[in-house]
Amino acid sequence: MADQEQPKTELESSTPLEQPGSTVTQVRTYKAKGRIVGMSIAVLAIWAALYIVASAIPALPVPGMAGMITLNAIMTAISGMILGPAAAIANAAGGIVSMILFPYGFSAGPLGFLTVTMGGLVAGLFMANKWVLAAIAEILIIGSWFVNPQSWQTGMWMVPLPYSAIALLVIVIKPVRDWVRNAIITQNKKTMWLAVFMMCIIGHAAEFLTTNTMVNWMFNLSWQYWVPTLPYWIMVDTVVILASTIVGVGVLVGLKKARLPLFPTILEK
Amino acid sequence: MPEPVVIQCREVNFLYPNGVQAIHNISLSIYRGDYIAFVGQNGSGKTTLVKHFNGLLKPSSGSVTVFGEETRDKKVSYLSRKVGYVFQNPDDMLFSSSVADEIAYGPRMLKVDPEQVSAKVESILQELDLKNLRDTHPFALSLGDRQRLAVACALSLDPEVFVFDEPTTGQDFFGSQSIMGLIDELHQKGKTVVIITHDMPIVAEHAQRVIVMNKGEIALEGSPQEVFSQVEKLQSLSLKAPQVTLLARALGESSRTILHIPEMVDWLQTRLPVTIKSGEELPHV
Amino acid sequence: MFSVSLKSRNSPLQKLDGRTKLIFLAVIFILVLLFTDLLYITALLALVLAAWFIAKLPTQPLKEMMQFFLWIAVIILIVQVFFYPGTTNLVHISKPVPAIGFSGYLTLEGILFGLAMVLRLVVIMIVAPLMVMTTPLPELMLALVKLKIPYKFAFIMTTALSLLPSIQNRSAIIQQAQLCRGISYDSGGKFITKLKASVSLLIPLILGAFRDSQTLEVAMNSRAFGAPIKRTFLLESRFTPVDILVIAGAFMLLTIGVMLRIRGFGVY
Repeated sequence: MADQEQPKTELESSTPLEQPGSTVTQVRTYKAKGRIVGMSIAVLAIWAALYIVASAIPALPVPGMAGMITLNAIMTAISGMILGPAAAIANAAGGIVSMILFPYGFSAGPLGFLTVTMGGLVAGLFMANKWVLAAIAEILIIGSWFVNPQSWQTGMWMVPLPYSAIALLVIVIKPVRDWVRNAIITQNKKTMWLAVFMMCIIGHAAEFLTTNTMVNWMFNLSWQYWVPTLPYWIMVDTVVILASTIVGVGVLVGLKKARLPLFPTILEK
Repeated sequence: MPEPVVIQCREVNFLYPNGVQAIHNISLSIYRGDYIAFVGQNGSGKTTLVKHFNGLLKPSSGSVTVFGEETRDKKVSYLSRKVGYVFQNPDDMLFSSSVADEIAYGPRMLKVDPEQVSAKVESILQELDLKNLRDTHPFALSLGDRQRLAVACALSLDPEVFVFDEPTTGQDFFGSQSIMGLIDELHQKGKTVVIITHDMPIVAEHAQRVIVMNKGEIALEGSPQEVFSQVEKLQSLSLKAPQVTLLARALGESSRTILHIPEMVDWLQTRLPVTIKSGEELPHV
Repeated sequence: MFSVSLKSRNSPLQKLDGRTKLIFLAVIFILVLLFTDLLYITALLALVLAAWFIAKLPTQPLKEMMQFFLWIAVIILIVQVFFYPGTTNLVHISKPVPAIGFSGYLTLEGILFGLAMVLRLVVIMIVAPLMVMTTPLPELMLALVKLKIPYKFAFIMTTALSLLPSIQNRSAIIQQAQLCRGISYDSGGKFITKLKASVSLLIPLILGAFRDSQTLEVAMNSRAFGAPIKRTFLLESRFTPVDILVIAGAFMLLTIGVMLRIRGFGVY
């Protein structure tokens, strides 16, 4: 059946296949391709919808400072470890639809969805053990940040460092990489929290630095803005990563216990 | 001596932000120990009205008092200690890593003493037959057990009144029987029970008082016998009496309202020429 | 919470093919990033605003956007005005502060560059809603598919949009359920309280939605989703002469813009 040529149109497929006098009836089957890198389209669509709803919920204050963090930041940070590389697609879809519904929600304009796409992609590739691709993506993000001449100004090198450098190290250092992945796949109670924390760093750092790169290229903000406000951004990043860790552990354990779709479960098989 | 009023609604009106008036001038009293069922079509205002009892919704005009206190200026967390609300889908509240943690969450949020919390959790686990599941992750439980857990979470705040929003929806027969058994136990222990349901046989078997809502108003109120005897009126409200009630009427019973199968069997016994005992072969007619 | 798209009625812009509008959006976006000269960016803004009014769109969203981005615009302006390395000194402020790169003067170039960046922000913010508010969502999705975006991706977007109301509804119910357990979603309050509230909302929301995804997957598979057969569409989109004119105009604009930029025009 696998060797049968697929019909060109649906009408042709309804043409009787048996020859006159033959008792053989041929049946054509096909494998429905409703999955992307192991995750079903339905799950990705649900995730995109969740992302959009979360983007309208300002939930977490930045301690000691003004501003609120919306829940979609948490969704982006945990997306890679829950959905694998397909998180990039789910986040992109959610980001684009968010832009359609709430057009002025992204400071990076129509391309704002790329930030969350990168967040899901790097973490998802890491989770799928495509660490070389993950490292290349992370290096590209850091590299594109440094391509901007602004980035060579006084103190600007501090901006990508707090979490992007940590993310890159986690990705490329084999013992750390294997430990993090293993802790998440097996849901080791002792090590899982720290492993999820590392994963959230990877996911969030990619998103943050992509946003930063795009905003810098578009609006030419110089070191006089970034360096003094760096403590604020580090606080925001830390809050998002901590909150994502708590949510991430809860979601990972819950999905596994309920036997619901989860990328690490696919890897475990 | 009549029981004291636990929940009182006086000329309650409620408008949603989009301008839809969901409740029209409702006045009713719920007494301690009541077992009330709210029935009605979708959109009749049952859930909207009942959400006023624990402060989830505040009346646009009129007043709702719970144990003598106006709900308008009380927080939901305060009223939840008096009126527990069990939502239709238990998954909408579960997020802890074990059954025990889930039950303890509410009291901890309300700053109950940790020792009291532990004691309460143990007592509830025992009472609701969840002891063997104390360390189990909530999402690893069956639907029935998750529903019991949702009841346990409401019970952990020691309310006097329990509200169950469609407790049997999505359940098979045994699941329905199990949850209704649990609700009956709570009632027998002296709790006031309010259920919202579309399941008429459940109302007929369990409730002591029925309130039929239609377009934001109370259309019928009374005991199950009183309400289900008004078959035509119910039909005009797009509701149907339990099948056993309709069958009895079709067979000619007009002097009383039959609500349960045992009642039906008793009534048939008086009508049939022979007595049928359980397990006996039916005579040829 | 969300107010969706199509706001213009019977306007020339609405009659354009979705692909035409996407191309127009892309050209404007590229051009506004190419130029830093205030004059050029103002010209692009004028073009976009003209399109907005031709589309008969209400002005209220514009005002809302301006309010929303006011603080970013102010930051951009202040940074450029004070720290852009201009040469034409206008206003003396203080002694130079080399440590922070401040010359002591507000310069003409700094002011012009700052205004240009603010207007760039405005153009970027307006151009996407301009397209979204003149294009029904099915047409937008069809345009993406016609532009060779994989159908599955467009399907994920349309499905996400159709699932939104049920997920929003579930989010509201979860918040109510957690309110009954003493969790507060009010603005204000301690950080830990807000963190607990976020966790108590997100975990049941995600887990419940994933449960629903299983039903959705069965429904999709039982309707032959993913079959390797060339798909037909209920809606069809075809270019009209006006579309071709607009696309040609957009590409001409892009070509002129790139040539000007290569020759050093349009930048400080």
